[in-house]
Amino acid sequence: MFKKPANSPFVFNVKSRMRVAGMIILLAPLVIFGRLFYMQTFLYEEFSSKAERAIYNYLAEDRLRGKILDINGRELAESVRTHSCGVNKRYVQDKSKTVAFLAETLGMGKKQILTKWNRSGNFFFIAKKIKPDKYIKISQILRTRLGQGLELTPEYERIHPYGNSALDIVGASNSKNYGLSGIEQMYNRELSQDISKKRAKRARRGEIIYDRKLKEELSVANVYLTIDAVAQFYAENALKKAVEDVGGVEHAIAVVQETKTGKILAAASYPVKDGQSLAFQFTYEPGSTFKTIAISSALDAGVVRVTDSIDMDGRKWEIARGVVVHDNQHKKDFLSIPEIMQLSSNIGAGKIALELGAKNLFYYIKGFGFGTKTDINFNGESKGNLPHFSKWTKVDTATKGYGYGVAVTPIQLINAYSAVANGGILMQPHIVDRIEYAGGKVEKKSKPVKIRRVIKQETSDVMKKVLQSVVEVGSGKRAQITGYQVAGKTGTAEKLSKEGGYAKRSHVASFCGFAPVSDPQFTVLVVLDNPGKYSFGGTAAAPVFKEIMERMLAMKGVAPDQLDF
Amino acid sequence: MKLFGIVFVIALFGFGVVMMRIEINRSGRTISQLQNEVEVKEARNQYLQLEISRLSSPENITRLAQEKLGMVPAKPHEIVVLEDK
Repeated sequence: MFKKPANSPFVFNVKSRMRVAGMIILLAPLVIFGRLFYMQTFLYEEFSSKAERAIYNYLAEDRLRGKILDINGRELAESVRTHSCGVNKRYVQDKSKTVAFLAETLGMGKKQILTKWNRSGNFFFIAKKIKPDKYIKISQILRTRLGQGLELTPEYERIHPYGNSALDIVGASNSKNYGLSGIEQMYNRELSQDISKKRAKRARRGEIIYDRKLKEELSVANVYLTIDAVAQFYAENALKKAVEDVGGVEHAIAVVQETKTGKILAAASYPVKDGQSLAFQFTYEPGSTFKTIAISSALDAGVVRVTDSIDMDGRKWEIARGVVVHDNQHKKDFLSIPEIMQLSSNIGAGKIALELGAKNLFYYIKGFGFGTKTDINFNGESKGNLPHFSKWTKVDTATKGYGYGVAVTPIQLINAYSAVANGGILMQPHIVDRIEYAGGKVEKKSKPVKIRRVIKQETSDVMKKVLQSVVEVGSGKRAQITGYQVAGKTGTAEKLSKEGGYAKRSHVASFCGFAPVSDPQFTVLVVLDNPGKYSFGGTAAAPVFKEIMERMLAMKGVAPDQLDF
Repeated sequence: MKLFGIVFVIALFGFGVVMMRIEINRSGRTISQLQNEVEVKEARNQYLQLEISRLSSPENITRLAQEKLGMVPAKPHEIVVLEDK
């Protein structure tokens, strides 16, 4: 194999030794390169995930849920991080010392701790939602002999600084940061955050290395409602007083809307249950408050004029054989349109509805937004009940004129009244004003959106005057506010009886109106389901309307539009 | 002499490594303590913020104004709104 040169006996030795040595030296890096190549190519995923785990820590569990605030930034719901302290009995080194430490730190009796200790299995929670100072005391001894067997589990507590106020809208979330009802559920994605994408660098012992950018990234979106916490308080307070005064009320609702923009400023419910806003979920036959809708429609279609007089048929009108409507509240043979509203004549409203016809009335009612959910799409929101006109009998058409045979939600009715006050334009109602994302991005949700024109401007002007006369000389006198022109309509609807037909002694009393008439700022609706003492809208609901509207006008500094007061 | 020089360099390097380790451990402890402190202060701050929110709720302010100061809500017509002209 090797040739030995004749003239140099050393050449073979030196060259071949160098070659061998070179090969040996090269072999080691070759093996290393080969291994590296293998690792980079075939074991890439395994190693990259190991590195990922070593360097980064996922902070999804360490985040706080976003806040829910009112339109002015007052916190309605916010989260705080708390901890639960658990004991793993198997690892506890000195039972008596650990019990003594826990008793002192948590402010509990030793006996109490020992009872829990003896009753439970290997693991048990000794205290939940512990305060930060206690948490720190325990966390400081976790790595010592005394702390062995103790565990601290992070939890989140949702706090409502204003108590139950607006809780029916805000809703509830659980300790795992998940929205269960109301806005908490509707905007759960924005209030919590994408778990998989948030990661932080980890130091050698596992501590998280924060930097400013990461903290910003971690702060989740805050949801601002159109609700004004002060207006909400007024509405809730007035409703609470009414419920106590009147007695026997099953449900009560008060809604305040900004007439021109459709923003819901307050929506109070009784009883208060988290995430169950009756403004969206309660359906009822509106009774006389619905006359505004039927008469606006008839005036707009031109089938009646405001100066027309309607024959009362001796205040006993037989719509069809066996179906008779009575007007017991007046003695007049003829009523003008304003008088029909002032005296809340069912005969007048029924006759006008028939004059308009089922098809026209149906499409006007639809146009006002009844029978359809609002775009808010609140959890459990009802669309009410408006059967198609092809199924209506003559009696159905007439009764719809005064608010029977149709079921509405408070939000639909207040929005329709706002349309009458707002020159005939139906606005999109809003409950969420804006969402502020991390990094300052703001998504505006409550820009005024015109849905459609429902009635002409002239019809709106006439209806405002008609409704104003209801408060000035009609059934809504208790809604008068010194210095302001107020418009509105009372409603007293008999409730459906369980035995069939209508219950004579069970009512829904309501009042819906707006002010000031010269430039409507607020629309307020009050609904009392089955009031005990006063069963009429004018006596039970109108004073509540007045109280809320007075506070709203004062709060927003709306100038009086009546000069001679 | 040469050997002594090598040993000296190695010893110096070793000493440096030990010092670095001690410093790392000390800094680690300080960071940990400071982080604890930050956590406690942040938590306390949050509780205090909550207390502010609670105390400034419309219900609380109304109650205090009525009970302690004897105030009553003004009627809207009693309020004079000054408009910028």
